[in-house]
Amino acid sequence: MAEGQASATVERDQDQALVSVRNVTKTFRQRGGLVQALQRVDLDIKRGEFVSLLGPSGCGKSTLLRIIGGLHDASSGTVTINGLDAHRARAAKQYGLVPQAPALVPWKTLGQNVRFLTGLHRGASAHPVMSDAEIDSLLDTVGLTAFTKAYPHELSGGMQQRASLVRAFALGAPILLMDEPFAALDEITRADMRYLLLDLWSRINTTVVFVTHSVTEAVILSDRVIMMAARPGRIASDRVIALDRPRTVEMEDSPEFHETVRMLRADLRQFHAG
Amino acid sequence: MSALGLGIGIGRVDPLESVASGADDDKGRITGNSSGLRKGLLAAAPVIGLVGFLLVWQYGVQIFDIKRYILPRPSEILTTINGGKLFFWEMARTTMWEAFAGFAVAFVLAMIVATLMAHSRFIERAVLPLAVLVQVTPIIAYTPAIVVWQGFGFKSILVVTALVCFVPFLINGVTGMRSVDANLIELARSVDASRREVFFRLRLPSALPNLFSAARIAVGLALIGAVLGEFFAGSSSGLGYTISVAQNRLQSHLLMWGAIYVLAFIGATATLLITVAERFALHWHSSQRD
Repeated sequence: MAEGQASATVERDQDQALVSVRNVTKTFRQRGGLVQALQRVDLDIKRGEFVSLLGPSGCGKSTLLRIIGGLHDASSGTVTINGLDAHRARAAKQYGLVPQAPALVPWKTLGQNVRFLTGLHRGASAHPVMSDAEIDSLLDTVGLTAFTKAYPHELSGGMQQRASLVRAFALGAPILLMDEPFAALDEITRADMRYLLLDLWSRINTTVVFVTHSVTEAVILSDRVIMMAARPGRIASDRVIALDRPRTVEMEDSPEFHETVRMLRADLRQFHAG
Repeated sequence: MSALGLGIGIGRVDPLESVASGADDDKGRITGNSSGLRKGLLAAAPVIGLVGFLLVWQYGVQIFDIKRYILPRPSEILTTINGGKLFFWEMARTTMWEAFAGFAVAFVLAMIVATLMAHSRFIERAVLPLAVLVQVTPIIAYTPAIVVWQGFGFKSILVVTALVCFVPFLINGVTGMRSVDANLIELARSVDASRREVFFRLRLPSALPNLFSAARIAVGLALIGAVLGEFFAGSSSGLGYTISVAQNRLQSHLLMWGAIYVLAFIGATATLLITVAERFALHWHSSQRD
């Protein structure tokens, strides 16, 4: 890595990692004992990359996501985003978060909700948030134009989660952090949401860190899949997904797709058997 | 809820009349009518309950031959109020002002303390036992002490009224401010929102449903505080004053009952107003209501 940095001055913008996680360890105190949630994690994520953190519950993937986002502190090690530490990056509004639950503001309409975070965003921002027209166009992409005046309790779970995606994209942030955003949805809705997310992402080429426990989901979405193992939480494998973009539903029937899924499942068995 | 039902119920058709006309109709209309009747009955239930209660009182007093100076009939009480409209209005105005002032002072102070408590677990743990103490000590027990401390007059009444309303606002305020979805707080943190923004844009609006519940409880308590204050603080006006004067004079039991009826009316009306305001302010909250 040191060698790479030294020789890459010319193509710095393309090659330098946007997110750089170095030797990150996280220890929780739980029921009197110490739990090692993450052990010596190293990870580089390039600008514009779609990276999934895949693993069973308890492997520390959500914790790693929150450490990258400056929402949790690492016990040791460093996180660098564009040359800033995670806290400064958060202050510089580098992140858009999509939590597992849609978490819309119940007293605001859908139209107000997707603009809620951009409204909080005033002040020192390193990049412009989306204009009203751009946000409207995103709403159109996810099929919510007719519902902008509806309140969250009047919307289905899938619609709420689509609004949550638009809310994050509307920030125009360089890094989107998604914490199992589709885990609470039914299978059919979830399948649609994956392609909807890819559609949004292809329009606004940001970097996405996506936490999931579904191998298929990780393969459909990602450029790279980081497999994590538990006790202690660590990176078990790091694989590039060499499938063409744009990804399509038909692709899910291709031999390449099945081979990739098979490979990751083998990784999963290997790291969780022993 | 029931207070609003009362408002809707007043305009309903006499249920007996509907039954009579329904009997002549064809089968389909009868079922339609009977479900409409059931709805109408349900909406009119609060009025039926109230009128029924007054009728039982009215004729019960007559049947059991209870002396008028022991327990007057509702009709006499209502006639008394009607006859002394100006007097009762004057007295009601004094008491309403005291109750409102105490209610408002309690609300403002409770919101300030609740904000501090919502931001600091230490302050919350330190203040909560005091709040419980204030609540479990009968207000009537320390009202005379407050009058000794604050002197006769409005100030004592205000302190008593505010004190009795304070705890419900405080507890509900803290609970409400803490009830914000943790995911929303994290989202706000992810864009580095200030505590101030989180407070005004998330915590305060989240506390609204709880604050409305508190307001409905506090309306009754404010009237208790105002009347109690008038009993002890040497007032020369108000419904509580009217009751205490009437108590010391024979033959003025009708005045006493008149004041009680007016107090009940004020309490019911204030509760109704709060319920209407709540419906208006919390329309987004309807999923959690029915």
